[in-house]
Formats: sequence, structure tokens, C-alpha cells
Amino acid sequence: MTPETSFQAYALRRLKPGHLALVLGAVVVVLLPLLFPSRYAANLLILGASWGIATLGLVIVLGYTGQISLAQAAFYGIGAYAIALGTTMVGLNWWLALVLGLFAATLAGAGLGSTTLKIGGHYLAMVTICFQIIYTLITTNWVAVTGGPDGISNIKRPPFLVPLTSAQRYAWFALGALLLVAGLVWWLRDTALGRAMRAIRENELAAEALGVDTRRVKVTAFTLSAVIGALGGAIYASGYLYISPDSFNFDHAVSFLAMALVGGSASPLGSILGAGLLAYLPEWLRDLKRIYLVIYGCAIILVIVFMPEGLWGYVKLMGRRFARPAAIPPTHRAMQVGSRGTAGEEVLRVENLFKHFGGLKAVDGVDFTIIRGEIHALIGPNGSGKTTCINLLSGLYVPTSGRIHFLGRDIVGLRPSRIACDGMARSFQNLRLFRELTVWENALVGAQRAGGSEAEVEKRAAAALEFVGLRNKAHETCLNLPYGHQKLLELARALAGRPEILLLDEPGAGLNQTEKQELIQLLKRLNEMGLTILIVDHDMSLVSQVAMRATVLNFGKKIAEGTADQVLQHPAVVEAYLGDREVALGV
Amino acid sequence: MFEIRDIQVSYGSVTALRGVSLEVQRGEIVCLLGANGAGKSTTLRTVSGLLHPLQGEVLLDGRPIHRLSPEAIVKRGISHVPEGRRIFPGLTVRENMVLGTSNRSGVTREDREADMAKIFKIFPDLDRMKRALGWTLSGGQQQMLAIARGLMARPQILLMDEPSLGLAPILVQEVFRVIKEINAAGGTTILLVEQNATMALHVSHRGYVMETGRIVLQGPAKDLLQNPQVRDAYLGGGKGLS
Amino acid sequence: MTESMSMVGQLLFAGLSIGGVYALVALGFVMIFRATNVVNFAQGEFAMLGAYALVALWQGLKLDYFMAILLAMVIMAVVGLLFEVTIYYPLRNRTFLPVIIATIGASIMFQNGALAVFGPSPEKVRPVFGTEGGASGVTLGGVFFDFQYLVILVVTALLVGLQYIFFEYTLLGKKMQATSQDKDMARLLGIPVVFMIALTFIYSSLLGGLSGMLVAPIFFVTHKMGATLGLKAFAATICGGFGDVRGAILGGLALGVIESFGAAYISAVYKDGFSFLVLIVFLLLRPQGIFGEKVAEKA
Repeated sequence: MTPETSFQAYALRRLKPGHLALVLGAVVVVLLPLLFPSRYAANLLILGASWGIATLGLVIVLGYTGQISLAQAAFYGIGAYAIALGTTMVGLNWWLALVLGLFAATLAGAGLGSTTLKIGGHYLAMVTICFQIIYTLITTNWVAVTGGPDGISNIKRPPFLVPLTSAQRYAWFALGALLLVAGLVWWLRDTALGRAMRAIRENELAAEALGVDTRRVKVTAFTLSAVIGALGGAIYASGYLYISPDSFNFDHAVSFLAMALVGGSASPLGSILGAGLLAYLPEWLRDLKRIYLVIYGCAIILVIVFMPEGLWGYVKLMGRRFARPAAIPPTHRAMQVGSRGTAGEEVLRVENLFKHFGGLKAVDGVDFTIIRGEIHALIGPNGSGKTTCINLLSGLYVPTSGRIHFLGRDIVGLRPSRIACDGMARSFQNLRLFRELTVWENALVGAQRAGGSEAEVEKRAAAALEFVGLRNKAHETCLNLPYGHQKLLELARALAGRPEILLLDEPGAGLNQTEKQELIQLLKRLNEMGLTILIVDHDMSLVSQVAMRATVLNFGKKIAEGTADQVLQHPAVVEAYLGDREVALGV
Repeated sequence: MFEIRDIQVSYGSVTALRGVSLEVQRGEIVCLLGANGAGKSTTLRTVSGLLHPLQGEVLLDGRPIHRLSPEAIVKRGISHVPEGRRIFPGLTVRENMVLGTSNRSGVTREDREADMAKIFKIFPDLDRMKRALGWTLSGGQQQMLAIARGLMARPQILLMDEPSLGLAPILVQEVFRVIKEINAAGGTTILLVEQNATMALHVSHRGYVMETGRIVLQGPAKDLLQNPQVRDAYLGGGKGLS
Repeated sequence: MTESMSMVGQLLFAGLSIGGVYALVALGFVMIFRATNVVNFAQGEFAMLGAYALVALWQGLKLDYFMAILLAMVIMAVVGLLFEVTIYYPLRNRTFLPVIIATIGASIMFQNGALAVFGPSPEKVRPVFGTEGGASGVTLGGVFFDFQYLVILVVTALLVGLQYIFFEYTLLGKKMQATSQDKDMARLLGIPVVFMIALTFIYSSLLGGLSGMLVAPIFFVTHKMGATLGLKAFAATICGGFGDVRGAILGGLALGVIESFGAAYISAVYKDGFSFLVLIVFLLLRPQGIFGEKVAEKA
């Protein structure tokens, strides 16, 4: 792939296969109700469309953000009941009722999403289940408002350009809505928000450390999925003109989850495929009517074991060679690093830092300072508290006591994403790449935190990749990269956000001699550009070639500091690493 | 009696060991030294079967064992005391030790009690605390328990991974004293991985020094103690050695 | 005794009894979680399958009642083993999300499989002592002690006791405990971990099946009965402290009692909701439950 030099050529290449799919989709939407005009068939199309919309909501929360939600049927129901109650009991305009329903769903979704802040994993699954079940209990039993198990009938159709009196016409409406939502969900994927969501799914900790406010994004994901789910329910209600609580219970929530998974939860088209399958499976398996759900349950298991990305993932695998990857913008300027301060000032000051984990004193009263423009090493034997220090600095741990000043501000207690957006970037000892995302997408997530328009974000990401030499591998998935390149990618990701300081946790681990030398060159170049670097590593040759000053820790305490050479000759340091001769003689 | 020949081991795309060879004779204490990330733990894990080499062999009394599962290897008499102690926190000291005999078949109650009594002589502290739950023990006591549990397997070879890690200097002395004793009194062969080179070399007969997945130095422990290249391997090494 | 005291006694008795069933299901849940870190959403279905196995053997094949129970237990043991082999084992190295979803898939399969085989109409099973028709029991101090409820309480207490003895005093029990505390270390000692895990699944399946057989005479046996049972048991383990055996038992009993009193004094209609309300309160205020410990992720 040759580097792009012309901006026009670049713009043209932005036309993706997705655009083509949308056009095709529009054609399908027009054709289907024409091909199947009977009332029965049209009703099936309406059902498939409503389910498809609900499942698209799950694509956002589960497929993109990786949060399990077993409450989708409740949100679907909120939309349906809003339309039903609104148009029958209160006599509202359909569209007004829709807006109210979507508003209610927003509140409910945000509420549910905010529970993720304290818990995750199977606890979260449980909360969503509770929400779903309580919803069903209320709709079944609060007869005065919801009509109870008898449900609500005589629901009205929406007023539209043409009267939607026939099932066929409403099917067009429903399918059109499906297409619209699918387009939106597909578009979301490659926006900054979409990338942030996918980063959370891949590695929430790393996303937070790279400036993604995981809290806000997760709540947003739930809210969006709730609103879309409610839209699906609204379409369903006016399609069938009658609803009862039975259609919005836990079984349906599980079904929606199943549809998303079997079809492919990370893909809009996949989930529509899954929804369609479940809507039509009873038709196709008419003779096997009694066991089609058994087959579906079995299918879930088989898909999870053998095809975790669902049916669509399989299709994608086949179609990989036809995919034209997005264009990387040309790099006009070289990569920039943060330059907010003046040379010689303190970038980072650590005072009296303590971190105790129960009885374990990981960091036991540490002070040090890092000056702008220097490369500072933090060294010490295994278990001395170095990684704990980096985690404290980047906000992943909260200190037991002590102060950390970054660019003059006390950052203790701030969220890691906040600290990252303020200019602190880091890498991890055990690589934390966004594994299913491409190299390019990893860089983009890193670049997002410095703000700006999408074009600026892309330019920064491109420049960072070029700096580490990975530009020509931009469209590979991280998993396919050799280890040395993966480490470079983590570096690029950190650099893409114009950091004021770079924290590197064992950047040399696992690299061979050649790769280490290349790393040393990169670090020296970064330093020449004015970037302040804190490096934690065990490899003393690396450290002595790169670092200007060093602080040595042992058992959580500082035992020496000074220039790199001074420190490596220091008797206490030698002892810490090699062992105490006196003690040894006593054995 | 025990030999590693030219093994190559990878974790995914990272090559951790690039052709490592060493041998241990019956009754010896051999130490494997090196800075963090040199590949010492990886070597032990390959011996105990948690990892399998891409190339090379591990031989016990001339028979290859590198394709066997950990359960099979411990049955052959290679007992691994892994890094970080890993005692069962919810079980008592006694129970931990009893489980140490899981590799032996046909063990009677009397056998177990007899073995425990013998081992408690080396670890009197543990005898005192035999009904205490694992998680209540201090770091040093847990390390002793881990070693005692390893001994309950009546091993031919005891693999020890960084027994002194995270322990205060006094306890480190204790641990190494115990290592010396179980070798001297019981004749247990020991392959010891350590970051604390000085201590390890003081109790060992022979040593190997590793760096980025290769053995770079070897010899009798006494010689290595005097050798300045050992120090270079730890602090500022790499410039001349590989 | 005054009428209100006997009412309280009645409610307490019923609540503890149903709570016992929840506790048994919850126990099976916790066992699997401790050994494998898997959250088994199909645990309730084990109860449903056990109940249907009893129905099929006793009503269908007209076997002697106690013979039917025994055979049903054997069937449940096989189910547990098959479950481990097909669902846990292929996914044992993956993250928690695929496993949860696979167990949800299993739950769908079981529910609809039962529906396909037995049909939608509820089945009735006779109680342990007595006939299909009436509830038999004794009245003491104004409280009616239904025999079936008594049986449930006794069996629950017995099982919990036996389990305690097994895990505290037998070597196999210790090996299983070791496997759940540190699987890899157990392997290094020579403990056959795969076998231990299979045993755990079989045991959990038996617990689930037994609780289904116990509760069958009280409620109707339908393909849906496992769903609510499972969810409530899950709620019980979370409130009690996820992964803690005492928590599962205490949580189960407590939820049973709360439900019993809630249905009588607050609202019978929303009876099923009480467990979930309690759960939400715990999840928001104290997610680690009563006996649980805070868990933090290491960077």
C-alpha cells in the first residue's frame, strides 16, 4: 500500500462497503413487503423488524461495550407501553407518546447503567435480570395503569405521510425504521464514542488509563440500548395493535440476547440476522414447532464454543479479502509531544507516598521528583514497589497517604482517565492492547484523549504510528503482530495523545537485544523532542544507557537516588539486587 | 540424574527460553540465578510440566518427561514449590501438608503421620501452628509450609522458585538454613531458582546464571561467588556477555 | 399461643422450609462457582429436571416412590457429568461472559426440552408421606407442620451437615477444597483436578435435582419452575456473600422467610419481587454480601 499523497484520493477511499450495504438494505426494505404482501407475512416482517431494532440496542451495550444486559425486553416493553397507554388511555399524538416513551427509557437505561459503576461481571448480569423481573411484575400486577395480564388493545398507528392502515404499509414503516437504526448503530462504531466503547470491551483498565471515561461511556451505552429497545417496542405495539406483559418478560430478554449472540453481537447486520432467524425459525421448523427453542438453546452453546463472533463473524472471515480498509491520512507534520511547561520545572512530585494493602506495605514512604525534559528511572528488585508506584501515579490505585503533584496540581483521588487527559500517558508491564481492534484503531483511541476533531485525532494517530514505524501495519489486528511490535504499539498509543509525561512499565521486558537497542533509540529521540519520561525496568544496561537520574526502591522504601551511574555503584543497591553478604554468611 | 537439554519455550509470541541446558546430580543443591525476566521461573515451570518446550528435552534418569502432564511428573518424584508460596488459604497447616502426599499412591495414615513428624522436626514453628488456617500465617511461615508440603511428596528432586521473595532478611536466613538442612540431613536434591544470588550461592554446590533466556555462566558455587561477571549480569550486564 | 403468634410461627415454618429449598439450590451454585469460577445460570433447571425425572419414573413408569427418587438421583448425576463435559470443559479457559451465556443456552435447552417432552400442563407429585391428594401433617401450638415441609427442613439440615462432614473430615473433601482454592497448585501436588471438577458438577446437579424433588409435591411441576427457583437462589448467594457456603445457606433461608412474611403482610401478588428488591439493595449498598470480601482488580 503506497502512502497517500493526494487528499482527493483519500476522500474517495472513505466510501466503505458499509455504505454499499445501506443502499442494498434500502432496496431490500422496499422489496420485501412487495414480495410478501399477505397480512400474515407482513405481520412477520413487522415482528422481525421490531425484534431487529431491539437486538440492535444490544449490539451497542453488549457487542460494542461488552456489558451483559438481560433487561432489553423491559426497555422494549417501556416503549410499547408508552405507545399503548399514550394512544389509548391518554389520547396523545403517537409521536408525542413515542418521545415520552423514549424519555422514560433514557431514565431507566441511565439508571441501570449507573449500577455498573459499582459492580461488573456476573453481578451486573444479576442487576439487569432483577430490573427485568421487577418490570414484568409491575406490568402484570399494576392493573389500574397497565391493564394487567389482559393487556391493552386498540393501539393506534402513527400518523405519517400516507395512512398506515394496511399491514403491508406498516411493514414498510417498520423496516424503514430498522434500516435507519441499523445505519445509526453502524455509524456509531467508528466514531470516537464507538471506539471508546470497544476499547472498554477489550480492556477496560487500559481504556481508563488512556483517557476514556469508562464510567460515562458505560452509562451512555446502556442508555442508548434502552432508547433503541424502546423504539423497537413502540414499533411492535403499533404493528400488532395489542400488547400484553407476556411479550416483555425475562424469556424475551434472553431471546434478544440469544439473537444478538447467534447472529454476531458486534455487528448490526449480524444481530438483524439473528433476530430474523428467531422470528422465522418457527415458520421454517413448523413440524418441529415443539423443539425449535431447544435447537435455539443448543445453537447458542455451539456458537459460543465454536463461533464466538456469531454467524456474521463467520461471514466476515470469508469476506475479509474483499474488505477495503479505511485510509490513513497523510502525515504532514511529525508527531508532537506535550509542551505546556518550561524546561527545568517539576513535572511530577511525589511526597511521602504510602500504599498499604492490608498488612502488606507495598510503598512505604517514598519521595521523588521528576524534572521536565529528563528521563528518570525507577528501579529495584522484584516486589520493591515499582509497579505499585506507577499505578499510584496514573490513578489506578489510591494512596493510603501522601501527595502526588502533576504539573503543579494534586492528582490524588482523580480518575485515571482524567489524569490521562491532563497529559499523563503510560504503558503496562503485561501488555494491555485492545486485542480485537486493529493497530490503527488502537492508535486512534490513544489519540482521542487530546480532543479535537476527528481529522485532528486521525493525524495524531498517524503521526504516532509513523514515529514507531508501524504505519504500514496499520490495518493488522494486534494479535497478528510479533511481540516487539505489540510493545511498540503500546508506546504509539500512549504517544498519540500528546502526553506531557510518559510512564513506561518494563518497556524492555521480552525484547531481544536488537529490539532493546531500537527502543533505546526511540526513547532518546523522544527525549530530544522534549518529552519527560519515567521508566521502570530491571534491565540495568537499558536503564544506564537511557536514564539521566534514577531512584532505587527496596521493600517499598527509597534506598538511593542520583545519576544512573552513581546509583548502580551504590553498595545498598548492589546488596538489594544481589543479596546481603553478611546475612548470607550467617546461614 | 536430571537433565535439561537445549529447550526452547515460548509464551505465545514471546520466546522465553532460547536453548537452555543444565543438569543436576543426585544429592546436589544447584541454583539458577539471573535478573527478573531472565527465564528462571519459566525453566522450572517447564520441568514441572506446566509448560512444554517447542524444542529440546527434559530427562529424569535418562527418561524424557517433557511431554507429561504436571500430575504425572509429580508422581515421578519431581515436586515443585512455586513462586509466591501458594498454600491453600482455607485449609490448616496439617491439611496443607497432608495434601502434599497426593502424588503418592497407597499412602496409609501411619505413613502420613510418620512423615509429618519427621518434617515437623525441621519446622518446629509449623508443628506449633498445625491447626492454624493457611491465610493466618505470616509470609515466612507460609514459605516454610510450602517447603514442608513439597517435602511430604517424598520427592527425588525439589524445585524451589524464589523462596526468599518478599521476606525480611532474618526470615531469608531461616529459609536458606532449612534448605541446607533438608539437603544435608535428608539427601534431597534441590534445584533452586533465586534472585538473591549471594544467599543462593552460599548454600549451593553449583550454579547457573541466566540472562534473557540463555545460560551465560556456570560453575561451582564458590567460583561464581568470586566472579565479577555475576554482578554484571544483574547490574549493567548485557554489554559484554551475550 | 395467640393467633398472631401462631400465624408468625406458621409463616416462619413455611418460610424456612422454602428457604431450605433455595439454600440447596444456592449451595449447588456456590460449589460450582468455587471450583471453577463459573456462574451457572442453569442451576435452577437442575431442580426442574430432578422434579420431572421423579414424575417420569414414579407416574410414568409406575416405580415405587423411593425407588423412583433413587433412580432420579442417578439420572441427575449423569446430567451433571454431561453438563460439565459439554459446557464447562470446552470453555474452561475463556473469560466469564461466554460461559455465562453458554449456561443460559443450556437453561433454554433444558426448559424447552422439558416442554417438548412433557407438555405444558403442570404435573402433580405425591408428597413423601401421604397421598397425592391432601397435605398431611401435625398441628402443634396452633401451627400446622406439613410433613412435606418438615421433610424439606430435615433433608436440608442433613445435607448441610453431611456436606460439612465431607469437606472437613475426609481426604477427598480436602482435595476438592484445595481445587477450588488454587486449581494450578492442586495440579502441582498431583491432585486430579479434572476429576475433582467433574465431581463438583455431579454434586451440584444432585443438590439441584434433590431440591426439585423435594419441592415438587408442594408446587406444580412445570418446565418453568427452575427459572424462578434458580434466580432466587442466585439472589440468595449474592446477598449471603458470593462464593461463600454459609452465605448460600443463610441467604436461602433468609430469603424464604422474607418472602413468606412479605407475601402475608405486604402483598401476595408481588411475592416474587421481594427477593429481587432485597437483592438490588444489597447490590447497590453492599455487593459483597454478608459474608463476602471486597474484590479489587490488580493492575
